Amino acid sequence: MGTSLPSREGNLFKLIVKSYETKQYKKGLKAADSILKKFPNHGETLSMKGLTLNCLDRKPEAYELVRRGLKNDLKSHVCWHVYGLLYRSDREYREAIKCYRNALRIDPDNIEILRDLSLLQAQMRDLDGFVETRQRLLTLKPNHRMNWIGFAVAHHLNSNGSKAIEILEAYEGTLDDDHPPDNERCEHGEMLLYKISLLEESGLLERALEELHKKESKIVDKLAYKEQEVSLLTKLGLLEEGEKEYRLLLSMNPDNYRYYEGLQRCLGLFSEKGHYSSDEIGQLEELYESLAQQYNKSSAVKRIPLDFLEGEKFQKAVESYIRPLLTKGVPSLFSDLSPLYDHPGKADILEHVVLGLELSLKTSGGYPGSLDKEPPSTLMWALFYLAQHYDRRDQQDIALAKIDEAIVHTPTAIDLYSVKSRILKHAGDFLAAAAMADEARCMDLADRYINSECVKRMLQADQVTLAEKTAVLFTKDGEQHNNLYDMQCMWYELASGESYLRQGDLGRALKKFLAVEKHYADIVEDQFDFHSYCLRKMTLRTYVEMLKFQDRLHSHTYFRKAAFGAVRCYIKLYDSPSKPSAEEDDEMSKLPPSQRKKLRQKQKKAEARAKKEAEIKTEESQASNASKSVKRHVKPVDPDPHGERLLQVEDPLLEATKYLKLLQEYSPDFLETHVLSFEVHMRKQKRLCALKAVRNLLRLNADHPDTHRCLIKFFHKVGSLPAAVTTAEKIIWAAIEEERLTYGQLREKSLLEANASFFETHKDSLMHRAAAAEMLFVLESNKKDEAVKLIEESINEPLSIKGLLGPARKWKLKDCIAVHSALEKIFDDQDAALRWKLRCAEYFPYSTYFGGKKCSAITKLAHHQTEETSESAGTVNPHATEFSTNGNLEKSEGSKDLAGQLHSSLVLS
Amino acid sequence: MVCIRKATVDDLLAMQACNLFCLPENYQMKYYFYHILSWPQLLYVAEDYNGKIVGYVLAKMEEESSECHGHITSLAVLRTHRKLGLATKLMTAAQNAMEQVYGAEYVSLHVRKSNRAAFNLYTETLGYKIHDVEAKYYADGEDAYDMRKQLKGKKHQHHHHHHHHHHHHHHHGGGCCSGEAKVEGKAGEPEAKAE
Repeated sequence: MGTSLPSREGNLFKLIVKSYETKQYKKGLKAADSILKKFPNHGETLSMKGLTLNCLDRKPEAYELVRRGLKNDLKSHVCWHVYGLLYRSDREYREAIKCYRNALRIDPDNIEILRDLSLLQAQMRDLDGFVETRQRLLTLKPNHRMNWIGFAVAHHLNSNGSKAIEILEAYEGTLDDDHPPDNERCEHGEMLLYKISLLEESGLLERALEELHKKESKIVDKLAYKEQEVSLLTKLGLLEEGEKEYRLLLSMNPDNYRYYEGLQRCLGLFSEKGHYSSDEIGQLEELYESLAQQYNKSSAVKRIPLDFLEGEKFQKAVESYIRPLLTKGVPSLFSDLSPLYDHPGKADILEHVVLGLELSLKTSGGYPGSLDKEPPSTLMWALFYLAQHYDRRDQQDIALAKIDEAIVHTPTAIDLYSVKSRILKHAGDFLAAAAMADEARCMDLADRYINSECVKRMLQADQVTLAEKTAVLFTKDGEQHNNLYDMQCMWYELASGESYLRQGDLGRALKKFLAVEKHYADIVEDQFDFHSYCLRKMTLRTYVEMLKFQDRLHSHTYFRKAAFGAVRCYIKLYDSPSKPSAEEDDEMSKLPPSQRKKLRQKQKKAEARAKKEAEIKTEESQASNASKSVKRHVKPVDPDPHGERLLQVEDPLLEATKYLKLLQEYSPDFLETHVLSFEVHMRKQKRLCALKAVRNLLRLNADHPDTHRCLIKFFHKVGSLPAAVTTAEKIIWAAIEEERLTYGQLREKSLLEANASFFETHKDSLMHRAAAAEMLFVLESNKKDEAVKLIEESINEPLSIKGLLGPARKWKLKDCIAVHSALEKIFDDQDAALRWKLRCAEYFPYSTYFGGKKCSAITKLAHHQTEETSESAGTVNPHATEFSTNGNLEKSEGSKDLAGQLHSSLVLS
Repeated sequence: MVCIRKATVDDLLAMQACNLFCLPENYQMKYYFYHILSWPQLLYVAEDYNGKIVGYVLAKMEEESSECHGHITSLAVLRTHRKLGLATKLMTAAQNAMEQVYGAEYVSLHVRKSNRAAFNLYTETLGYKIHDVEAKYYADGEDAYDMRKQLKGKKHQHHHHHHHHHHHHHHHGGGCCSGEAKVEGKAGEPEAKAE
């Protein structure tokens, strides 16, 4: 390094490097400048100066200098290395790898560069390269523990487990007998556990078990030891020993369900789907009875049998399970039992049991057959349970009656309001649900959970502004939702994006969805530092687990929802370009022209102000950066807070395709992935891609209404196109024709016939009927009336559930809303839409969408207003001040602060 | 009703979501990675019968200090899952692991002065004592109690080797006080929510 320089400058050069490493950037710059005064074209100095400037956030200069440095000294590994580091700092890993490789061509044994390269290769999953680099490092420095471990891990990741084992054993061979020293025991134990997990993964079970036993004294983490041991025992079929181990593990933690499952497996009493013979049920019963005596504090031993018991035994067990929990007032009781509702018989028994308890509590004040009096709260919790029970069975009328009864009984119990809010949401009254959640929130302002729940409800009711004001009561700097973004609060961003999308504000919706996407990109980035960290820490099992997690990160629900949302936005944007968002449109059109003008002016002013603020802040931050070397506290101001720029994209479908690709790769088993792919590719006129989407839909669910829609639409579209002319077209046509022949639905049938047969097969299902009707209209636009009739003739059958207090019907609210919107928008039949609305208002009396007679939009005039007014906090929550002033609730210090914040936000609004 | 088990990397997103939904002190994903990749034994989750994460404990070892000790970074249980003793179970599991794997002498945590429910849980159920008060510890200016609990395994050891107790934490695990911590939490220190 710096070899071409005379000794004074050579020393200065070393100083630059040292200053860079110790983050004394100003010192480094000074040294660089004094070399450059004498040797203005010294490549390595130019490069190092650039790298230093990069750390001071002066990017463009940095790139310029580094490139100039390289031009002046193409043969310098330093220049190439620096170039690589620069790219790396900008996450341009592919480019960085190229630079490192060039550097290594000049200096093949440079440890530092090799190490940097290996990190990038791990990050990019260039596994062959990773193995190669790790091998070089080990060859060069075989006395470093990290190099052995790194080489082994590289082979493991590159699917060569046996090689990894060999390397680890060779490494162990280099160790002294008294290894490890006290301060490395943990790490050594982790390494051994990693090796044993590799043996297990490679199917060398006996060797793994043997090794585990041999190294027992050196494995510090005893729980991991036991769990590893029992896993091997079970896999080896050593079930008796496995049983013993599981019983031991249970005595250590009787609340770990996986141990119970393992124990059942060892006893030959486990079925994935929970299907057991009556003989097996008898054995299981015995097993859990004995376990219950051993672990009388574990709730698992009492809960698990409810899954396999049936009939009378179930009834007895569930009643003795429920009683003490109602007495204790466990709020999660219903959610704990809710999986049992998938067995209809059990739901009926539960209804019977809890109604029995309710009756007895009301008449005698105690449980049936018991002389003891229950505390008054027991009845409240029974009502609380029943409310959720009826909600689950889609009988919101009864559910609301029960929860109201509970609230009258104990008006101070917050959980009751939360549940009432949820029931109202299910019943379709989003406004009332939000108001109810706000009431709950105001009963304990220091509790973020009820704040979050309230925010969620407000977003469901499309009260985005109010939701945001409420959410920021808990973000530290109170600086709008920046903190929610910084802390990666994705549920909020998704719910908010979905609300904006519903309201047609595509810019803001995209802003939120893309924020979630950005969080995932950052999470991918997060792994970088751990490639070296974990090799030192030796947490190798967890490290590999983390890499695998990263490899399927984009299949996570939040990402999927965000990508669905973004694609939808882009499709809408493509369909209606350059239109201002619908919300604004509506707002504007409602106003008289004079006010409209005012509003526009106001908006323009606000925009100008925001722009100016942004400029000032960026200047400030640049100034402070220049003067204070490293200061990162100043957050750059978002130049596009409302996502307006996101709407300016050249080609919305191209943007959509980016997210579609990730969906197709990571969420291939979701219908929506392919429905969206179909929509995008039809618009792009990429017929084969659209056909692929249809094929995937058929694979996932051939009977689904959306599958049917896409199938019919596709072949209808293809059939209506002019005959193929070019060779390429002809090939595509032939491929489509060939594929069509493989579809049973279409064999020897016209599309019209296929549609009729789909209708006939699924005529009892509303959504299928609606799809068939819609396709009839697509195929023959003159048959609109006939199509609408198909929908209107649908019958909402009552569900036959035993022991009902009232009727429950088959149709779901959201389906009925979808049908209404189809009548309105696709069929453009306003009369039919109105008839449908009136009909559904009967089925869903709480639905604000249908204007049912019990919904808040009808019952409370206060809510029957434009969004602007319903969003002012005062009207939504009349109880806020009531509760905080009458001292019903004890207020802690923290909540006083929050109350203060709340008041200021009320003043602002 | 609720399963208490060691957290895996796959639980981290749900843990972060649980934290964001119910606590005011939040952390970026990287901080969760940092915990699990440093001390994989010290993270526990409470998973309900539907497979949902309804509580967690995020804990670490203090590496820089001379006395080897554990620290509870964050503990949360969803409001809907109170009264099941989940916080106690999660805390106990993490404390046991600190003691067994790393030979921790004591475990520390911070709690808001105003959070009576959590304070009661720590003092009455779990045996923590106030060690100190940290003024304006939280971002909103509230003070924190710095609380500590002596781990019983250590007391036992004290009894036998009290003549060189300054060193004896090295006899156990020891791995806890080496290695360097690279990732720092973005938010302030933890807050716990009691049942």
